Amino acid sequence: MKRLLVASALAGAMCANVAYAADQLPQANDSYFLAAQQTLQQKLMEQDNTNRAKNIILFVGDGMSIPTVTAARIFEGQKRGVDGESNSLVFGQFPNVALSKTYTHDAQIADSAPTASAMVTGVKLNNGTIGVSKDVARRDCEAQKANPLISIAAQAEEKGMSTGWISTARLTHATPAANYVHTADRNWESDSDLTEEAKAGGCKDIALQMIEWKEGGDGFEVAMGGGRRMFMDKTMEDPEDKGKMGQRSDGRDLPKEWVKAAGAGAEYIWNQEQFDKLDPAKTKKVLGLFDRSHMEYEADRAKDAAGEPSLAEMTEKAIDILGNNDKGFFLMVEAGRIDHAHHDGNAARALEDTVALNDAVKAAMGKVNLNDTLIIVTADHAHTMTISGYASRGNPILGLSEEKGDDGKPYTTLGYMNGPGALKDEVRADLTNVDTTDIDYLQQALVPMSSETHAGDDVAIFAAGPWSHLFKGVVEQNFIYHVMAHASKIQDRMASK
Amino acid sequence: MRIGRRTFIAGASATLGLVFAKPAFAREKIKIRDLYKTQAEFSDQAKSFAASREVINVPGFMAPPLKADASFFVLTQRPMAVCPFCETSADWPSDIVFVRTSKIVDAVAFNRPIMTTGILELGEAKDEETGFVSLVRLVDAQFEIL
Repeated sequence: MKRLLVASALAGAMCANVAYAADQLPQANDSYFLAAQQTLQQKLMEQDNTNRAKNIILFVGDGMSIPTVTAARIFEGQKRGVDGESNSLVFGQFPNVALSKTYTHDAQIADSAPTASAMVTGVKLNNGTIGVSKDVARRDCEAQKANPLISIAAQAEEKGMSTGWISTARLTHATPAANYVHTADRNWESDSDLTEEAKAGGCKDIALQMIEWKEGGDGFEVAMGGGRRMFMDKTMEDPEDKGKMGQRSDGRDLPKEWVKAAGAGAEYIWNQEQFDKLDPAKTKKVLGLFDRSHMEYEADRAKDAAGEPSLAEMTEKAIDILGNNDKGFFLMVEAGRIDHAHHDGNAARALEDTVALNDAVKAAMGKVNLNDTLIIVTADHAHTMTISGYASRGNPILGLSEEKGDDGKPYTTLGYMNGPGALKDEVRADLTNVDTTDIDYLQQALVPMSSETHAGDDVAIFAAGPWSHLFKGVVEQNFIYHVMAHASKIQDRMASK
Repeated sequence: MRIGRRTFIAGASATLGLVFAKPAFAREKIKIRDLYKTQAEFSDQAKSFAASREVINVPGFMAPPLKADASFFVLTQRPMAVCPFCETSADWPSDIVFVRTSKIVDAVAFNRPIMTTGILELGEAKDEETGFVSLVRLVDAQFEIL
């Protein structure tokens, strides 16, 4: 018995000793262990960057929920033929991450208008409003005029920095508009959309506000995206879509007016050929309107009639133009159609557009120096898509899970809580012979709705560059502005004007 | 008489036997997205089908109808919750197919997958009855719920 006790005590002591020597652990040579050790060493080497951010690039994946980021990471890896689960997106490797609380002043679940404004003005607003304080109720024109907010883009303009925004959605859509507009209704995109009361009250439409935008500076240097019809009168035929007309009712040709007002070196472009010919060294300002409405989904871009640049191509060109200013720049880049694909219940296009955003971040990383450029990648709100089941490692992320539901039918790994993927009063369809990886496939949903809804879960903030270490923990969405302002010392720049 | 349900298919196949010479499983199928090479140009396969006037299958979804008791509907690639012709400014997709049926259509939910069968016609044309201008049509058509 004594021998036994001694032996077990010795064994215990040996185990205890081994436990303190990491390299002797039985798992010490396991590839996961070694990779995590490498990550640990990298993290230990990281140092806070407290330089002044000369430039700021704010990437917004509209509706890019955390499951969207995860699924896109797997999707991107599987497309390349590598392990999707352990794959990393470019912004997934950023050193600093926080969670962003997306509720708005009046809503538990947000729309894109107040959330974009929160990011660029530092405060929360009411749903449906952009660039106005929380005292403005939706569609209240009088309150709109009395309660404007000043965005970080406007502050940058005032300090002589260059400014720009890019979006695959219409440039009059909520997210890009947050940089320049003050409106009590996000739907007032052209003058035809204004209510009689708003017109009588002197409230201007969003497209007109963009063209006239100065805010103490000389107006934007770069604006590229969709939404051409909002800038053209209904008597004017679209240059790309035969037989389709503009939407305005005031007879104005806003791109033409903008070019004239912006002066020499200002270009208006609307197709790929013009985009390719644009020389950043000679271009002082550019307005690009590449589609009558939103630009194409990345999955459909190759079929666009007049051709459209990718989000990455627009980002590179924008940085080249904005980078001509020694005082620095502020640029917002929005992947605006992740949100639209989710609303359609079409995960494949949402993931393709998320990968396009990742490509744009990669392109930006190749153009700027993180010593003087703060890069933030975040979302305005979430969507209801989930990643569920017990799929095996390597199972196609758009595919069927191996096991079946209690109804004996297979189900997809990705699914939606609500949306067009649910058939009213009908039993769940059998997916046995359905190609759920098809680009047009709509994932099944629980609650039938014509349009899938936003979701209220927190979204992620990924950040790199000066003062990005301030992004940690769970923060309010409007905190993003405060880090951008602090990092760029925009207030000091204003005081020293 | 109304069409649009599975029960109709059998009867229609018998009465239209000459037109639908091939059984359903043997017919050529083309997705709406494959009708186009670019937004401005039809695909070679679509041109071939139109030239041969072969009866083909096109899967898709029925957009909400403009009016009741119509003998046409709009086929969309993905479900569309709004009627494409009801709002002048609606962002309906460019790749829609105008489907002309010989019988009155029983509308189905906008997100119900259907298989449409008919003869493909390409090029801008105005429908005599409705006045709708379309670029792609499926005529002498019927559909089946999937």
